[in-house]
Amino acid sequence: MTSRRGFLAGLAAAGLAPRTTWASAGAPALLAAARTDTGAYVLCGLSAAGEVLFDIPLPDRGHAAAAHPHRAEAVAFARRPGRFAVILNCVNGAVLATLDAPNGRHFYGHGSFSQDGRYLFTTENDYEAGQGVIGVWDSAKDYRRVGEFGSGGVGPHEIKTLPSGDLVVANGGIETHPDAGRAKLNIPTMQSNLSYLSTQGSVIETVRLDPALHKNSIRHLDVSDDGLVAAGMQWQGDKGQVVPLIFTHKQGKAAGVLDLAPALYRRMNGYVGSIGIDHTGRQIAATSPRGGLVLTAELRGRVQDTSIDVYPDVCGVAFGPFGRMVTTGAGQVIGGLASTPNIYPKLHWDNHLVRI
Amino acid sequence: MKKICTLIIALILPVSASADSALVDRVISNHVIPRFRTLAQTTAQLAETAAQTCDLDNGQVVSDYHAAFDAWVSVSHLRFGPTEVDDRAFALAFWPDPRSKTTKALHQMISSEDPVIQLPENYAQASIAVRGFYAMEYVLFDEPTRALGHPDYQCALFQAMTKDTAMLSQAILDDWQPDYAALMLSAGQNERYQTDKEAVQELFKAALTGFQFTKDTRIGRPLGTFDKPRPKRAEARRSGRSLRNVVLATDASLDLARQLGQGEDALQSRYDELEHYFTTAVAKLESPVFAGVSDPQSRVKVEVVQQAVDRLLEYTLGGLGPHLGVAEGFNALDGD
Repeated sequence: MTSRRGFLAGLAAAGLAPRTTWASAGAPALLAAARTDTGAYVLCGLSAAGEVLFDIPLPDRGHAAAAHPHRAEAVAFARRPGRFAVILNCVNGAVLATLDAPNGRHFYGHGSFSQDGRYLFTTENDYEAGQGVIGVWDSAKDYRRVGEFGSGGVGPHEIKTLPSGDLVVANGGIETHPDAGRAKLNIPTMQSNLSYLSTQGSVIETVRLDPALHKNSIRHLDVSDDGLVAAGMQWQGDKGQVVPLIFTHKQGKAAGVLDLAPALYRRMNGYVGSIGIDHTGRQIAATSPRGGLVLTAELRGRVQDTSIDVYPDVCGVAFGPFGRMVTTGAGQVIGGLASTPNIYPKLHWDNHLVRI
Repeated sequence: MKKICTLIIALILPVSASADSALVDRVISNHVIPRFRTLAQTTAQLAETAAQTCDLDNGQVVSDYHAAFDAWVSVSHLRFGPTEVDDRAFALAFWPDPRSKTTKALHQMISSEDPVIQLPENYAQASIAVRGFYAMEYVLFDEPTRALGHPDYQCALFQAMTKDTAMLSQAILDDWQPDYAALMLSAGQNERYQTDKEAVQELFKAALTGFQFTKDTRIGRPLGTFDKPRPKRAEARRSGRSLRNVVLATDASLDLARQLGQGEDALQSRYDELEHYFTTAVAKLESPVFAGVSDPQSRVKVEVVQQAVDRLLEYTLGGLGPHLGVAEGFNALDGD
């Protein structure tokens, strides 16, 4: 446990020693961006019990954040088609670096650090080519951009680092162009995939779903300790068609669509906003803000049991040693070590909840 | 007391549920069907005219094209159900096109005299980029496109395009009546619309997305940024329709919003004010294709038009939505 004195000493030292650990920031368990009721945007650190430990102002609406594995540094991304991201010192709120997307690229709003914490990988759009790119930034060189490689598809969204050190990327398949706002340009021909990439950029494996479901956009994902990937999708086809929205996959094996009753998928309104898998790979939770619910499934190879929690405008979800935690646009932080939800009426929690 | 409450709820629920279905019924009969019928009629007329003449500068061809395009813009907010089957709406309207797929595919097609145009069935399998109103616009109004290939091929191409557009429009209308209309009217008793509210919500969202697309894309694209205005990105500028499309699309979404708020005087008078603000702003524009975006003084006028559409959008969201009981949350409305 951090003593108050130790915490303050950490604060005082922060300006001089930027390499502070998460303990100096109050040992948050999670990060989440929010809009305040005055219309400002903040990045918050949350404890395992769902208490806000710090809040740092953001220059614009943040989408997701990425947490450095050791140091109290967070990357907050502007939402797509954003051209900047900021690296924040979570002890004193200082901006350590600003990442500017190079010409011809914009961020999609997600990123992930390499296992050792040196490199940051960001999902980006090479919009003139209509191809996805992973940008590489070196935290040892003030987060300078040191390279990029193809994401293995179009419209890469969430990216995670696997236990093996490789990367897994959800290529959503949807072509957009900043000159056309958020208009989706290729729905009739879109093709989503899940790509496994080495940190050098070679494609290790590509997973595509049933061609009949080519309008199912794989957007969000999470990874268990043994590398089981859970992916959440957003259906771009006719809303009358009820399709599976969640699948799991392990490298080298076949993808398994989560075999849920169609009525359950129907309640998710074709839209998974965020997905989490626990470290054992035995529990998956997917949120649907459009359905106003969280679906939790117990897995033992296949689905053993499911439950639905109804929370209006729920979106962020994460698993940790604290169990499952979710956040809502109405300010609630539910689950974790807290027995009753924490409610922050002035904070509208944005799409994602990021485990540190 | 508890008994009374139960009784009241029991009395209110069926009324409000049937009110929803009566509302959906009115909107389908007065807004949706007449507009799709006009689209089917005007596109059929265009195909007929095109079949009779190979003179693409013929006044009748041009005016029929405008009438059909008007009809499309006036339904372009109704993007659900029949328009989405087989990607029909994408085939009718492939825009925005930031990577110029239409020009590339069309020029390739004309230069190589691709025989795909010979049969309507084949043309329906052609790339979506060479189908519909925006591709037709190149054949009628774009000089570099007109200069390519043989006039006979240009003529056959235009005939194939107009026939394809008419078939798509008729297919949408045929799906709407009676099947899709019946589906929406039986909301609460089918899989697609599991409650009465869901059908109302579908129509409400159509009005919203219509305003949103007009604001962000139809106006936002040519506006670009102050430092980098993009007049050449204006929608359908070759046929001089950019502003006309903004007006038609806004009128269409507004008509839908008003019909959804029928009988609610406060809503209607607020829409009156917002409509007045919009038409006044539009009247001050000099260029039908937003050419003024590069000049700081006339740029402001385009920004005011955009602001007027944004006000309609915001009021629909914050005023009409709660009235209909279909308000949406922060994440539900604006996910990623």
